[in-house]
Amino acid sequence: MMRSVINQLLGLRLSGNSSVLVTQVRDKGHLSRPRLRNPQWFLRKEITKYNDLMTAENKQFVNEVGTNNFGVPVVIKDCLVKTAGPTANEAVWTPNLRRCGVIARKIGQYPLWLKNGERIRTTLLQIVDNHVIKYIPPEEYLPAQVPTVANLHKRGCILVGSETTNPALLTKEYAGIFRNSGVLPKKNLARFIVSPEAQLAPGTPLNVNHFRVGDFVDVRGKTVDHGFQGVVKRHGFKGMPASHGVTKTHRRAGNIGGGGEKGRVWPGTKMPGHMGNRWRIIKGLRVWRINTKYNVMWVQGSSVAGPTGGLVYIYDTILPTRKNKEAPPFPTFYGEPQQDGDDVWYEQVHNFKSESITYENE
Amino acid sequence: MSAATKLHKTSWCALRQLQQYRTKANFSGSSASLAKRNDLFNQEQRRQRDAVGRIDKIEVRYLGLPEDVTLVMNGNISTPFNCAQHLSEGHCKRSALALIDGSVPWDMHRPLQESCTLQLLNFHVSEPHVVNKAFWRTCSFMLGAALNRAFKPEANLQLHSFPGPNIKSGSFVHDIVLQTQNWEPGKEEMRALSAEMVKLAAQDLRIERLDVQQDLAQEMFKDSKYKSEQLPSISQQTNGRVTLYRLGDHIDISRGPMVASTSFLGKCVISAAHKVAEEGPSGAFYRIQGVALPSGFQLNHVAFGVLEERSKKPSPARLPNEPFEEQQQLQLS
Repeated sequence: MMRSVINQLLGLRLSGNSSVLVTQVRDKGHLSRPRLRNPQWFLRKEITKYNDLMTAENKQFVNEVGTNNFGVPVVIKDCLVKTAGPTANEAVWTPNLRRCGVIARKIGQYPLWLKNGERIRTTLLQIVDNHVIKYIPPEEYLPAQVPTVANLHKRGCILVGSETTNPALLTKEYAGIFRNSGVLPKKNLARFIVSPEAQLAPGTPLNVNHFRVGDFVDVRGKTVDHGFQGVVKRHGFKGMPASHGVTKTHRRAGNIGGGGEKGRVWPGTKMPGHMGNRWRIIKGLRVWRINTKYNVMWVQGSSVAGPTGGLVYIYDTILPTRKNKEAPPFPTFYGEPQQDGDDVWYEQVHNFKSESITYENE
Repeated sequence: MSAATKLHKTSWCALRQLQQYRTKANFSGSSASLAKRNDLFNQEQRRQRDAVGRIDKIEVRYLGLPEDVTLVMNGNISTPFNCAQHLSEGHCKRSALALIDGSVPWDMHRPLQESCTLQLLNFHVSEPHVVNKAFWRTCSFMLGAALNRAFKPEANLQLHSFPGPNIKSGSFVHDIVLQTQNWEPGKEEMRALSAEMVKLAAQDLRIERLDVQQDLAQEMFKDSKYKSEQLPSISQQTNGRVTLYRLGDHIDISRGPMVASTSFLGKCVISAAHKVAEEGPSGAFYRIQGVALPSGFQLNHVAFGVLEERSKKPSPARLPNEPFEEQQQLQLS
């Protein structure tokens, strides 16, 4: 019942400039099962550091040879050679198809102004060095921890990596994931559930042109870890007055339940506890501006989960009223970045870099 | 059960386990001939020890850490390992090779003959060339033992020889003859060979040296066609004496010093097996190549991958099927 009330209230709000956050864990009525053990497929990523006892010139040589076989993979638009996925010409977009997402870093927040004078808050997300590592078709994809995605059995999985690192600092098993991809090992990995028509070849770079200005995205991040917090900060309780005779109770919860037949503390009662460090998805954020030189996108609002510099995962939105109505770059953007400058502004946004006042010569 | 019987039982089990390690190999070729070879080796070892007679004392001047000391040892009986035992357990475990009079490399378990200066070499000395070469030679020798253990009897494996160590070539080498002309080992087989090497290293088998007369060597290797052919030319170089090395149950001919035990082998990969030439109607020569690091040296997988790739290239060392020339030293380096 709560959920329908919230949805009705949201329907009354202005669209576009606002974000949608559906209450998640707390009205479930039960605690999440703690995942205390690593799954069977868990790999150790980094080796224990030690002094290598290699001479400086040997280290340099190994770096050259090790990186020799990799380079920026070329994505050819009209390729005649058989590739793993369909070429850019063949893939046709339909609204029910699901595209790949990207891994980005939240780099800050900034205001933008619209042409009607309205000031909006935006978050900057930078897509750093993303490449497709692997595509797993739906028949072969059997995840141990099943993601909450509709029609999972019809969809494949694209493994995307971001931020290249030195393979010598990684374990051989982890570096082995990247062996057939043609790219150097990455620091971060993520899976994106996609339709088979949206599959991408290993080594395909993903940049900010994968999204267009005016599109809506869902952004998933891990919230800032506040540690063990009291009820006032964690649940927004009012607490009690600081003075006027109040004894030893200023930031406490107060009453936690009634009596009668169900005279016990109900599960889900709001109490002090660990706050933050949870995955949260914020849906329906509009992309106001894109910078193709630095692969940065400005998204609506300041509610993207996580600290500045933290990782986020960006998906095409699943909200029905904000989904793409015309074809986005499908399966991804292959091509030259646009010629006139680096910034792409949404039509409503005031481009403060352009001249605002012009004079005609008399 | 009383304490005494309990103790007895534990040590008896340990002894049996040791014996198992010694005799556990599955021999391709007859195990009877191998047992006979080992018997002859043991007999000769005992005979040489008994032949010492009156024990002469020698002064061994040890130079090195923690301080230079003079040790009074038994001539023709005491080994550099015994000198290390007078110093510390660390010296025993870490010393791979000994250096006599500053210039002559000497096996750790070879008896010292006269008064000399002694240096104990490990892999971290400032001039490691001698001990590196000994290590490379030992790897080839261990590869022979590993091949004996790894191959099935149907393969009819015969070890031919191993050329002298050339670290710059990128791999250590052992040449064999198999009764098949189209052996192309897959990844699993190469991994199994590498695993055999690692098992040998884990067993920490002592490498023993024995100087024998040519006729005894002929007797010991009479079942091996290729060794019997090589022995006359080998003994010609060294006044009718042949140097044998033993590791576990495996005995082979080699000139130069080996490291003290198999425990000095660290990371090891047997990377390639190249067919060299055909031998007879149904056999062929194969050259097995590998690369290894001494134990205690850590290297990241990218750098070791570079070494592995290099070691797959065919080694430029003298091939087994080339005619042996008097000037060339067969296995003598």
